[in-house]
Amino acid sequence: MKTLAKYWSIFQITLINSLAYPGELIGRSLMIIPFMWIFFQLWKVTFSAAGADGGMINGLTLRDTLWYLMLAETIELGRPPIARTMSENVKDGSIAYILNKPYDFILYQFSTAMGETIFRAMLNAIFGGLTVWWRVGMPNHLQGFLIALPAVLGAWVLHFCINAMIGLSAFVVEDVSAFTWIYQKLAFIFGGMLIPLDFYPQWLQSFAKALPFSSAIYGPARLFVTPSLEMFVNVMSLQIVWIVALAITLVIVYRRGLTQLTVNGG
Amino acid sequence: MKELKFLLAIWKTNLLSAMEYRAAFLTQVIGMMANNFIYFAIWIIFFDRFKDVRGWGVNDMYVTFGVLASAFGLVSLLFGNAFMLSDIIAKGRLDYYLSLPRPVLLHTIASRTIASGMGDFVYGFISYGLSGYFTWDGLARYVLATLLAATVFAAFLILTQSLAFWFGMMTNFSNLVLNAMLTFGIYPITLFDNYAKLILFTIIPAALMGAIPAEFIRAFTWQTLGQLLLGAIGFLSLAIFTFRRGLRRYESGSAIQIEV
Repeated sequence: MKTLAKYWSIFQITLINSLAYPGELIGRSLMIIPFMWIFFQLWKVTFSAAGADGGMINGLTLRDTLWYLMLAETIELGRPPIARTMSENVKDGSIAYILNKPYDFILYQFSTAMGETIFRAMLNAIFGGLTVWWRVGMPNHLQGFLIALPAVLGAWVLHFCINAMIGLSAFVVEDVSAFTWIYQKLAFIFGGMLIPLDFYPQWLQSFAKALPFSSAIYGPARLFVTPSLEMFVNVMSLQIVWIVALAITLVIVYRRGLTQLTVNGG
Repeated sequence: MKELKFLLAIWKTNLLSAMEYRAAFLTQVIGMMANNFIYFAIWIIFFDRFKDVRGWGVNDMYVTFGVLASAFGLVSLLFGNAFMLSDIIAKGRLDYYLSLPRPVLLHTIASRTIASGMGDFVYGFISYGLSGYFTWDGLARYVLATLLAATVFAAFLILTQSLAFWFGMMTNFSNLVLNAMLTFGIYPITLFDNYAKLILFTIIPAALMGAIPAEFIRAFTWQTLGQLLLGAIGFLSLAIFTFRRGLRRYESGSAIQIEV
């Protein structure tokens, strides 16, 4: 319990720190507005051109699609660049000061990442939500937000596990930017970040849904727009399986990485 | 001519400096190309499902994405500091450039190379090659359009980041407008109504970086060439004017800076 309290305190400190520069926080969150506006333009034209049957394409209306994309963007834009931070820690040698502190390196990074995420995601959801509301109205199932909340938190844990592994690769290659770009784009495609997976060809849908990216973006966002008990169970159980698998891999990678670490300075 | 020699010398030094870490350089170049390929797959999936957006198909996207990537890559390679100009101004790091007998703006923005820009630049040509619009005279237009689009983009960066002379740290605003420029540049222009198009030619000139160069590459018209030339000259003049006006307000922080 005492151990957990330590990480809870780190989380709280980072959370409060993230409010120290409200202008910075708001400015960064405004980016979601042009994204949502352009999504509206694209999908409005697409739905109209597709002559959507009953206003629906593969079970989603224009309104569902835009609220889906809003939550997908919120998950993506809300998470901090943890891989880059860890890579910087290795490059500038500051990792030496973190490693010799009485806390676990991975749990420390997780606590700070979650602390940075909360307000950033909240503001993204507010600005993105207002833009979508202005263009297409309220979501069809407002309660979907509460139902999807555990899946959103799980999505950040999943993102953290993958990004931390990318960050840890800095123990070997130092510069991880190329890996972060590629991971982000894979998440875009297989997570259904710009196009809901429902609009993909069947074979690609099945493939994408079997990967962790869909649990990190598509699952929570789809649950938000069409919430149901069955979907909640499906999304959460798949997410938990991926979190356990990736967390174990992360611990193994971290332990192996430590043996290869060379501190350059500090 | 003197300034061109100076620029060539800086670019050569930047390139040699980047090549000093060959593995990192190659990782960035190849990584960025892979990144672009994967990103573009989204558009392939989209157009496979929905065929076209008001007459705009996947082949048009190949050209638009290609010219935008090449222009972005060219500016990253040759004028990498244009992305960080507001930071340099706000932190008093212009002192270094002011103390040297060379044009301040040119020297500042050319003093950094972003290695991944090479990946973007090369990827753009491949994208054009795959578009189905490839012809040899089209390639010549592609090169010209890339140069003009890069001029508009560099000018836009200088213009927006020079606002730091008046407003101080502008990192968020700079990122916001940069993202808006790239996002709007890559989407089919046929999506937008006339009011939005007016914005895309003026306040956020994304049309001059994506759709108009792509139109010029597909088929030569004096109108598109005129639009591109006018945009490039107009934005560049405005950017230089704004930077010079801002420079009069510049105050050094007397901080000790090390330029590497």
